[in-house]
Amino acid sequence: MASCMRKNFIYLLVMVLANACSWEDNETFYRDAENCDTLDVSYSTDIVPVLTNNCYACHSNANAPDFGSGIALENYEDVFASSTLIVKTINHSEGVSAMPKGSEKLDDCTISTFEAWVEEGALEN
Amino acid sequence: MGRILCISLITLFVKYISVSGQDLESFLEDQLDRSTEYTSATFKSTRILNGHSNELTKEGQLDFRISHRFGTINSGAYEFFGLDQAHIHLSLEYGIKDWIMIGVGRGTFEKTIDGFTKIRLLRQSKGIKHMPVSVSFMSGVYVNGLRWSEPERENPFRHRLDFAHQFMLARKFSPGFSLQLTPSYLHRNFVESSQDPNDIFALGAGTRVKLSKRISLNAEYFYLFKPDNSSLSKEMYHPLSLGMDIETGGHVFQIIITNSVGMRENAFLGHTTGRWLDGDIHFGFNISRMFQLKRQGI
Repeated sequence: MASCMRKNFIYLLVMVLANACSWEDNETFYRDAENCDTLDVSYSTDIVPVLTNNCYACHSNANAPDFGSGIALENYEDVFASSTLIVKTINHSEGVSAMPKGSEKLDDCTISTFEAWVEEGALEN
Repeated sequence: MGRILCISLITLFVKYISVSGQDLESFLEDQLDRSTEYTSATFKSTRILNGHSNELTKEGQLDFRISHRFGTINSGAYEFFGLDQAHIHLSLEYGIKDWIMIGVGRGTFEKTIDGFTKIRLLRQSKGIKHMPVSVSFMSGVYVNGLRWSEPERENPFRHRLDFAHQFMLARKFSPGFSLQLTPSYLHRNFVESSQDPNDIFALGAGTRVKLSKRISLNAEYFYLFKPDNSSLSKEMYHPLSLGMDIETGGHVFQIIITNSVGMRENAFLGHTTGRWLDGDIHFGFNISRMFQLKRQGI
């Protein structure tokens, strides 16, 4: 009995510590792929804001040589060239650096939107 | 001759007593200056009203607390001015040492289970050690116990958690008047909207004015540093509580009127949706009963 209580206590403690702090909200967290509008994804209105908010700290033209391993994502041509790599990195696939570096994984809808844009040919639309 | 001698001796003795008395008085004052006198009972309870005071339960003491908050007074006669709706919080709080206490509780508000630790960092004192204020620190965790609204989707445990940290800086200005400032930080892991802040900073102020040996008036206010209500998914107001401490032997009874239905930091800092000016006032009370579990040293 005492052993069981101790186990439960340790389990609770581990759960609390392992799950300690996060900064999340209902709207963003559950805006999952099913409810996500991935039709007619636009480079300028859907993709550029994601890049601006999550990538340019390292992958702007100015920062890329110092912090972004030389990969700049500020111009369409550069993004087009790296689009397949970007899909892998934001999905945290094996063999590539998980992006955004040092931050939580992008939400499912943002990833799906990016994937849809690449599948549609990564157009400059 | 003998009479003169007797009067002289009595005069000398009285003079000696008088001088000794003065010496004793100055000696005691001197000793007081050389020792340290700590201030006690800045507040009567470990809570001013809703929030923590700088006080801790003493070593070996178990404090069983029962708190009630009723519905709003403006809910009308049908709801018996709020008395038909009750929120309750039960807690057990224990003094491990005089400088550290822990507590666990369960409240009906969001079926929350909570736990906290409070430590005393500084004690107001005069004499050799002069300290103008008492300082305590409280750290708490709150676990929302409601069933998930959509259990079939992914519901991480971390979404249930809130955390609060507070410093209590208190000074007893006189036997009848105490004041406390409470810088507070509340972190909520999961909020409703992206516009709602996960982190809320607040500055609390609480006071106690003693009316008699057993009765005091208390007031407590928390100013929340938060975005404007128009951008929030739910309005949040600054919690203001007024009340009275009534001490009866081993009990402390607190009668409260407040615009907050929550009785723990995550609730009254993060979920005060009532406005005093609209009559969103809750009547309530706290009862504290002390049990001495460990024999005090002789």
